[in-house]
Amino acid sequence: MSPSSDVLVERTARLPEEVALHARPAGWLVRAAAAFAADVHVSANGRRADAKSILDVLALGAEGGTELAIDASGEDAVAAAEHLVLLIPKLT
Amino acid sequence: MPEPNGHVNLVLVSHSAEIAHGLADLVGQIAGPDVRIVTAGGAVDGSLGTDGSAVLAALRTASAGAGTVVLVDLGSSVLSVRAAIAELTEEESERIGVADAPLVEGAVAAGVAASTGCTLAQAVEAAEGACNVAKL
Repeated sequence: MSPSSDVLVERTARLPEEVALHARPAGWLVRAAAAFAADVHVSANGRRADAKSILDVLALGAEGGTELAIDASGEDAVAAAEHLVLLIPKLT
Repeated sequence: MPEPNGHVNLVLVSHSAEIAHGLADLVGQIAGPDVRIVTAGGAVDGSLGTDGSAVLAALRTASAGAGTVVLVDLGSSVLSVRAAIAELTEEESERIGVADAPLVEGAVAAGVAASTGCTLAQAVEAAEGACNVAKL
């Protein structure tokens, strides 16, 4: 069991200025989160979305340049959060 | 019976061919290229309505892969889907899940779930979860 299992792992990542978290980029984010067992959430604009739910993620309405707060818990939480930290600034 | 493999497919049934095609475009963009999306929109003569034989053809076209989630718009779409499923063998119909979900949100949710390589039951669950997501 990973030492992160009971810990909420928190990170932040910023969307590229020209990439809003709509349609295609949101789909990429959800597919990336779904590859992990951890519970993963992303927050922006005062809302917190289940990163594995496309409708939740789309409802964030995160525009380009928005800083997203990521939190993850579960056995691969650190890997999940760090994967999203790398992915989010590279979304196109 | 062959072992199910590949991604879950989507069949979109609408009274309007334009709605079905437009939604297929939208879901395709969000879910990516791995999810097969087949439409059955409009009546036989191209007017607004549903066509059981077109639905049956769509179900058969989408029959490969890990199963098929069917999303419907209104009233008689459900009847057309039921009539089409009644034409299939039991083996074929077991690989089809009709989602009790809003068409647009359900298709987007099921499409993205399918793109993650989920099972048919999980894709149907994702679509039906769309009933509980607030827009505002």
